[in-house]
Amino acid sequence: MQTTTRVTVPIVLVVAISLFLQGHNLPGGGFIGGVLTAAAFVLIYVAYDLDYLESGVLGREIEPGTSVFEHRTVTAYRRTLLAGLVIVLGSGVAGILVGDPFLTQGYVHLEGIPVYHEVELASALLFDLGVYLVVVGSLLTIVSVVSGE
Amino acid sequence: MAPDLTIVTTAVALPFVAAALAPLLYRVLGERTGYAGAVVAAASFGLLATSVGEYGTVRASWIPALDVGVQFTVDGWGLLFALLASGIGVLVFVYSAAYMHDEEGLARYYAALLAFMGSVLGVALASDLVLIFLFWELTSLCSFVLIGHYTADEESRYSARMAMVVTVGGGLCLLAGALMLAAAARGALGGATFDLTAMIANDEAMRASLRESGLFVPALGLIVVAAAAKSAQVPLHFWLPNAMVAPTPVSAFLHSATMVKVGVYFLGRVRPLLMSPEWVAVVATLGLLTMTVGALLAVAATDTKELLAYSTASHLGLMVAGFGFDVVYGGEAGAFHLLNHALFKAPLFLVAGIVAHEAGSRSLDELGGLWRELPVTAAITAVAALSMAGIPPFNGFYSKELLFEAAYEVAHEAGGLAWLYPAAATFASVLTVVYSLKFLAVFFGERRTPVAEVHRPPIALVGPPAVLAIAAAVVSAAPQVAVDAVVQGAVEATATGEAELSVGLPTHFTPPVAMSAVAVLGGIAAYPLRGRLAAGIRRGVEAPVPVRPSGWYDWVVSTAAATSARFGPAVHDGLLRRYVGWVAAAGSLFALAGFAAAEGSLGIGGLGGLGVPLPVAVVLGVATLAGVAVAIATSHVSGVLTLSILGFMLAIFFILASAPDLALTQLVVETLLLLMFLLVLQRLPSYYSEVRPLAIARDAGVSLLVGATAFVAVLLTIPGPDADPTGVATYYTEQAVPGGGGTNVVNVILVDFRAFDTFGELLVVTIAAIAILVLVTMRTRGEASEAEVEENPLPDGGDSP
Amino acid sequence: MSVALAIAVGGLFAVGTFLLLQRDLIRVVLGVAVVSQATFVYLIAMGGIDEGARDLVPVLDTHGGGVPEIADPVVQALVLTAIVISFGTTALALVLSYRAYEENETMDVTEWAR
Repeated sequence: MQTTTRVTVPIVLVVAISLFLQGHNLPGGGFIGGVLTAAAFVLIYVAYDLDYLESGVLGREIEPGTSVFEHRTVTAYRRTLLAGLVIVLGSGVAGILVGDPFLTQGYVHLEGIPVYHEVELASALLFDLGVYLVVVGSLLTIVSVVSGE
Repeated sequence: MAPDLTIVTTAVALPFVAAALAPLLYRVLGERTGYAGAVVAAASFGLLATSVGEYGTVRASWIPALDVGVQFTVDGWGLLFALLASGIGVLVFVYSAAYMHDEEGLARYYAALLAFMGSVLGVALASDLVLIFLFWELTSLCSFVLIGHYTADEESRYSARMAMVVTVGGGLCLLAGALMLAAAARGALGGATFDLTAMIANDEAMRASLRESGLFVPALGLIVVAAAAKSAQVPLHFWLPNAMVAPTPVSAFLHSATMVKVGVYFLGRVRPLLMSPEWVAVVATLGLLTMTVGALLAVAATDTKELLAYSTASHLGLMVAGFGFDVVYGGEAGAFHLLNHALFKAPLFLVAGIVAHEAGSRSLDELGGLWRELPVTAAITAVAALSMAGIPPFNGFYSKELLFEAAYEVAHEAGGLAWLYPAAATFASVLTVVYSLKFLAVFFGERRTPVAEVHRPPIALVGPPAVLAIAAAVVSAAPQVAVDAVVQGAVEATATGEAELSVGLPTHFTPPVAMSAVAVLGGIAAYPLRGRLAAGIRRGVEAPVPVRPSGWYDWVVSTAAATSARFGPAVHDGLLRRYVGWVAAAGSLFALAGFAAAEGSLGIGGLGGLGVPLPVAVVLGVATLAGVAVAIATSHVSGVLTLSILGFMLAIFFILASAPDLALTQLVVETLLLLMFLLVLQRLPSYYSEVRPLAIARDAGVSLLVGATAFVAVLLTIPGPDADPTGVATYYTEQAVPGGGGTNVVNVILVDFRAFDTFGELLVVTIAAIAILVLVTMRTRGEASEAEVEENPLPDGGDSP
Repeated sequence: MSVALAIAVGGLFAVGTFLLLQRDLIRVVLGVAVVSQATFVYLIAMGGIDEGARDLVPVLDTHGGGVPEIADPVVQALVLTAIVISFGTTALALVLSYRAYEENETMDVTEWAR
C-alpha cells in the first residue's frame, strides 16, 4: 500500500496539475484538478497518517498532542483556502479597476514564445487557480478534520 | 397644463416622512406634536391646492418588467378627495392636540395618523393599480393601529382586529380585481399594464376585452367587494360601529371623512370603466340597501358615536348608490355628497367628542338641552345635523336631491322593480331626518338627567368643527360656488358622458322635489314615534346569528382559530422527518396536479423505445438498482458501499453523456465521499434501529409519489433527440472562443461567463469546510473546559487513524 | 422522451425520499446523497442525450473554428458545481450526524427530538 502510494501520488499530482492547466481548452479545470489533488493527499493519509506529510515529506518535527484544529497541515489547508478566495476575489476586483464589471475576464494572445509558439494568457486562468486552491483547501480540511477524529 | 411630479410626490410623501419623524418630534414638542402634524397637513394641502386646474398624469418607472410605475394622476375627483383628506387633516390634528391631552402613546398615535393621511393622499392621487393597492392596504394598516389605540382594552383590540380583517380582506379582492384588469389590458391596450388612466381612456376596448375573456363580472364583483369592505356597505358594515372605540379625532377623520370614503372614491374612479347594466344592478342596489339598513340602525342607536357611525354607513350607501346609477345625476350626487358628507359628518363627530369630553357621557338617553352650557357647539351641531338630515337650504339637501333625481330617472326609464330605488331612497331619508333630529336633541329640548357640571371646551376643540360648519354653511348658501371650484372637476372625472353640474333650490315642483318633501315631513312626523321605532328595530337586530353579519364574522374567526389549533400539532410535531414527509407529499401532489392541468399544452410524446443508447440504459439500470440496494441495505457499511456503486455508475453515465469533466470529478469525489463515510462510520453503531412495517409502508407511499412526480417531470421536460440546443447553450458555445478565450466550453462557462455563480459556489464549499472544522473543534474545546473543571484532562483524538 | 431516463430519475428520487424519511440519521444522510445524484442525472437529461454521444464532448477543436454540434455545456457546468457542492453538504451532514450521535448517544432522530 505504501509502496503503491509512493509511486502513484506523484503521478496523480502531475496529472492533476496538468488537468488544471489545460482546463481552459481541454477537459479539466480548477474543480477537477482540485479534487484530484485532494485525492492524492488523501491517499497519503490512508497509507500513512496525518503527520506523515510533515515528518516524512517536509522533514519537520511533529508537535505531539495538539488538536486537529491547530495541526500544522490543517492550518496550511486553511491558508490555501483563504488564498484561493483572495485570488478569486482579487481577479474579480482587478476587472473593476480596469473599468469592467466585477468578475469580467479577459485574455491576451502571446505569440512567438519558444516551444508553444502561441500562448494565451487568460485572466480566467487566475480565477481558475483560485477555484483550484479553494477546492483543494476545503476538501482537505474536511477530510483531515474528519479523519483526525 | 401637466402637474409637477415633484409637487405631487412631495405632497404624498411629506406625511410619511413626518410619520417617521413623529417619535422624535414628540420627544421635542410633547403634546404640541399635534400642531406640527397640522402644519404637515397644511403643507400637503397647500401643495395640492397649487395643482387645482392643472390636470394630467405624471409617471416615474418603478418595476419596468411588470410595467408598474409610480404614477400619479391629478384630476378633479382625486384632487377633491385629497384636498378633503388634507384639509380635514389639519383640523383633526389641531383638535387632537387638545383632545388627546394626558394620553399614553401619543408618538405612535401621531405617527399612525400622519401615515394614514399620506396613504389616503396616495390612494386619491395614484393611478397605477399596484400603487393604489399598496396605499389602500396602508390605510387599513394605519387604521388598525389607530382603532387599537387603547391597547390595554380588550374591546379595542377586538375592534381593531375586526376592522383589519374586513378591510384588508377587501384589499385582497382589490388586488385580484386589479390583476384581472391588467390581464384585460393586455388585449385592449396591447400589453399588460396597471395604468388605470389608460384603461379609463380606452374604457370601451377594456370592457370588450373583459367580456371576451369572461372576466367582466368577476372583476366587477371583486372591486365592489373591496370597496364595500372599505366603505362599510351591507353586509360588511359591522366593523364601522365597532371602530368607534378609537379616540374621537380618529373616528372623525378615518371613519367619517377619509378611510371609509376610499371605497366610494374608488367606485367613482372605476365608474366610467365598468359602467354597465350589471354595475347598476349591483352597485345601486348595494348602496340603497346600505342606506336603508344604516339609517334603521342609526335610529335604534343609543350612543352618540354609534348613531354617527351607522349614519356614516347610511350616507356612504347614498354615495355608492349615486355612483351606481347610470345617469348624469348619479355621478353628481356621489361626487357632491362626498364633499358635503365630509363637511357635516366630521364636525358632528368632533362635537360628539366635545360632549363626551365636557359632559362626561355619550348616552343619547342621558344627554339633552346642552345649548345653555355649550352655545357655540350647539350652533355648529344645528348646521351640521340639519345638513345631514337633508333639509333645505343646507348643503346635504342638494346632493340628496341629486340622488332622488337619479333614482327617479332610472325608475322612470326602467319601470317595474326599479321603482324600488326611489322608494328605498325616500324611506331611508325619512329615517335620516329622524336620527338627525335625535342627535340634535342632545343640545335642544329639555334636560333628561341632570349633568353634574359641564365645562366650557377650549378653543382648540371648538375651532375645528366650527371651521367645518362654516364651510358647510358657505356651501349651503352658495352651492354653485363650491361646485365650480372643486366639484365640477370631480363630476367630470367620474361621469360616463358629458356632465355640467348646476345646483340650487328647486324653483318648480317635480317628482324628486316631492320625494324630498315626503322625506322631510315624514321624518318630522315620525320623530315622536322614535322610541317605538327604535325598540322594533332592536328586536330585529337581536335575532339569532344568521341575520347578523358580525355573528358570522365571529364564527369564521373562532372556527379558523380552532381549526388551526387542531391542525397545527398534526403537521408540526417537532419531528423533522414528518415535516419532510408533508412537504414532499404536498409538493408532489401540487406538481402532479399542475402537470395534469397543463398537460394539454405540454403533451407527452411517443413513449416507444428506450430513447437512449443501450449502454446508457444499462448503466442507469445498474445505478437505480444500486439506489434500491442502498434503501434496503441492513447495515451502515453496506449502505455506503452500495451508494458508491451508484456514484461510480453515474460517472460512467457522465462519460456516455459526453461529459468527461463531470466523469472525472464524480469519480474522485465519490472516492473521497466513500472514505469520509467509512471514517465516520467506524465510530458509529453499525446497525439500523428496528424496522416497523407501518412506517415503512407510509414512507414508501410518499417516496413513490415523489418518484412519480420526478418521472413525469422528466418525461415532460427533457428535449427530444432531435431538439435544437437551447439558445443559452448556443450562445455560450459560440462565444467561448471569442469571448472567453478557451475551447473547453464547460470550463469557460464556469470561470468566465458565470464566474460570479462559481464564486458563490466556492463560498458554499468554504462554509461547509469551516462549519465542519468548527463542529469538531468546538466539541474538543467544550470537552477541554469541562475536563478542566473536573481536573481530569482528556487527551483529544487529534491523530488517531 | 426517454423512458429509461425517466425511470432512473424517478426511481432515484423515490429511493432518496424514502431514505430521507427514515429514523436512522445515517440513512438520512445517504438519502441526501442519493437525491443529489438523482438531480445530476436529471440535469444532464435536460441537456439531451444523443446517440453516438462520445463525439459531442463540449470541447471545440481549435480556436476560431466553426461551432460544431455538441452536448449542452450549460448543464454540464451546472452539474460540475453541483457535484462539488453536494460533496460539501454531504460531508457537513455526515459530521453533523456524527456530532449528534456523540451528544445523544443514539442515531434515532425520534428519540432525541424531544
